[in-house]
Amino acid sequence: MRRSHLEIVITLSLALAPLSCKRAKTVHVEQTEEEGPRLASVVHLSDPKIEPQLVNGFYGIEGNAWRWTAKTFVVVLRVPAGANQRGATLDLAFTVPNVVVEKLKTVTLSAVADGHPVPPETYSQDGQFDYKRDIAPGSLPNNSVRIEFQLDKAMPPANGDLRELGVIVRSIGLEAK
Amino acid sequence: MTQETTAAARIRQALYWLTPPLVLLAVHWWCFQSWFRADDFAWLGLVNTVHSFPDLLRALFSPAAQGTIRPWSERGFFMLGMVVFGLDSLPYRILIFATAFADLALVAAIGRRLSGRPAAGFWAATFWAVNSTSTEPLGWACVYNEVMCALFLLLAFYCLLRHIETGRAGWYGLQWVVFLLGFGALELNLVYPFIAAAYTALCARKYLVRTLVMAPASLVYFVIHNAVAAPPHSGDYAMHYGGPMLHSLSVFWSWSLGPTYMETPLALTKSELRAGVAILSLALAVFLWRKIRERRYAAVFTVAWYLIVIAPVLPLSRHLTEYYPYIPAIGLCWLGGWAFAEAWRAHAAWRGVATVLAAVYGVMVLPQTVVAGEWNYDLTERSRHLVEGLAGAHERHPGKGIMLFGVDAPLFWNAIRDRSYQLVGIQHLYLTPGSEKLSGTDPSWAGVDDFAMAGAIAIRALQRDEIEVYDVRGPRLRNITSLAAAMPFDRSLPRRINPGDPLAADLLGPEWYPIDVDHRWMPRRATLKIGGPEHSGEHLYLHGYCTDEQLRGGPFTVTAAAAGVPLPPATVTSGEFELLFPLPDSAVGKPEMPVVIEVSRTAKPVGDPRALGLAFGEISVK
Repeated sequence: MRRSHLEIVITLSLALAPLSCKRAKTVHVEQTEEEGPRLASVVHLSDPKIEPQLVNGFYGIEGNAWRWTAKTFVVVLRVPAGANQRGATLDLAFTVPNVVVEKLKTVTLSAVADGHPVPPETYSQDGQFDYKRDIAPGSLPNNSVRIEFQLDKAMPPANGDLRELGVIVRSIGLEAK
Repeated sequence: MTQETTAAARIRQALYWLTPPLVLLAVHWWCFQSWFRADDFAWLGLVNTVHSFPDLLRALFSPAAQGTIRPWSERGFFMLGMVVFGLDSLPYRILIFATAFADLALVAAIGRRLSGRPAAGFWAATFWAVNSTSTEPLGWACVYNEVMCALFLLLAFYCLLRHIETGRAGWYGLQWVVFLLGFGALELNLVYPFIAAAYTALCARKYLVRTLVMAPASLVYFVIHNAVAAPPHSGDYAMHYGGPMLHSLSVFWSWSLGPTYMETPLALTKSELRAGVAILSLALAVFLWRKIRERRYAAVFTVAWYLIVIAPVLPLSRHLTEYYPYIPAIGLCWLGGWAFAEAWRAHAAWRGVATVLAAVYGVMVLPQTVVAGEWNYDLTERSRHLVEGLAGAHERHPGKGIMLFGVDAPLFWNAIRDRSYQLVGIQHLYLTPGSEKLSGTDPSWAGVDDFAMAGAIAIRALQRDEIEVYDVRGPRLRNITSLAAAMPFDRSLPRRINPGDPLAADLLGPEWYPIDVDHRWMPRRATLKIGGPEHSGEHLYLHGYCTDEQLRGGPFTVTAAAAGVPLPPATVTSGEFELLFPLPDSAVGKPEMPVVIEVSRTAKPVGDPRALGLAFGEISVK
């Protein structure tokens, strides 16, 4: 008889305690940031908050200003109002470093915006460039567009750096015409 | 004058017992502040499975994780802790460190008895307090079993020594009680009769038989344990006997005298560390040889302690874990403490040698012990921020699913895999579509498939405002739901469905019954949609449960059809089952594959009007 009482007490204590002790008091609740960002049509790669839009092929921020890319890099941008009707301009602000020209001689950059190919361009000198291309009206029917950039060559991992390196990107934007 | 002498003696006594714990606390301060991580959450969640007395017994004593049964040091520790303190880690830490302090006191008390020198006990406890192998036992709550096991082994042995000293039977009886209770802390406890036998054989021969009578208890435990939880024959925990054991011993030996994994934050190479270990090993060997020549066989016992306690883990040559030498290292600390104390009573040259050797040990282990403690602390802090942030998100959005963006491998392994979120009331947690591709890229991502949400489900859930998406990379969780809603997720259907997940409801036909807490029953026949196989030769996998009533009539048949093609039937023979149906090649590459499942027998449990077919935990294509 005593044993059954003991069993009941132990069982009730353990079974009911989780319900009765109010978890909220035993768990410290940390407030969240609810002012969430909206999808941007222009992303500055120095801003860590736009990282969710960098789908793949981008490395970490360097010099508080830019990021190295891999051979292929993908970004999602918001389609600006009116861009589907009037068309838009895609603008990739980037740098071809001297080391890339020394090792690869030339690099050719092309892009595909939601399945629509964008004309390529070849760079044979180092320096800062803007890869600007028109996106035809009717090519951007959705709220967002996935843009896949492709280089024909990239520097393979070397000297302890395990990354495949393409070019250095500062910003990517889409503006309505 | 006498009063002054007495006061000085008291202060000396106080320092004798207090210094090792204070050293331990100082060196392991990061550990003392640590929160929870990884397996801790699985044990903390165990209390939620207890709804009756049989549940309690099952939770306390049924084999879990690699077949372990540790009712005091894991199940009871975490269940009671969760009930009384919740996720406040401080009380758990106080208990862990209190146990460690008791361990240190016993190490000192036994060390002085083995050597006949009080200083030897003091230095043994101090050397052990800074040993690199102590980081995880003190900093990771689920390794508390090591700290508690040390207490049982040391206390039982202390009782034996007192029994031999005093001849009182009470100490012998107490030794038995402590020994038997020790089985509830860690399986390693079964080595105790061999420890006791080794000591009595070397130092108190007439008590040998009294220690050997404890061996059958270990044998019975071993047989029962192996019967209810057979050791695995494959994977990391498989036992490898012979040559690999010597390799294990050499690795554990170097971690016992040097830093774990032979790593240090100092600018020392592995060769220099190995040289340090070799010098200390040589010094201990020389001291041991001298003691053998003096017929002080207690010195041999310290090495026997090391070998006996390390022996059970030597076959785990593919799972060399840094804390395995934690308890064995006590033996080497006794020997080292003894050597250090004797050297200080010899002439100045020996004092110098002993001081240099102690410094070599300190330089090798201390920095790594502190840095490893800080590394552990950082991981637990990341876990804490995530879990407490999830509690905040759940409080703000009750009833909604939560999907996380930006989870990396350490955060997944330490804070998500063991379902920490269920402790703050979140039933399901998701990672962004595509996370499943991380599986196989790093061992820490093992199990990520269970959490990755399919693109089609994410799109639908976002459109219906059923989930909130948080970026976990900052100091606080940041809501990025509106941003995620604009992302072009892959629209393919999942190739893995949990019918108990409310967000998977759209993929199930209308026949299914409503969700029961975390699972969902089907009637005799049910339909669903799932992504088709990517390659030829893949299977439809069903993992589920049936009622005892269904099985009373014997095994029953489950039939299935995929993409309109009937699949060979399978048989259910147990309450929990896994079934594999080969999928037709015609289904390969189909973005959507209709599936029909039917059982040959249903059951109506008492008080439930439903005709129950099967309940599923997972339906997948693989």
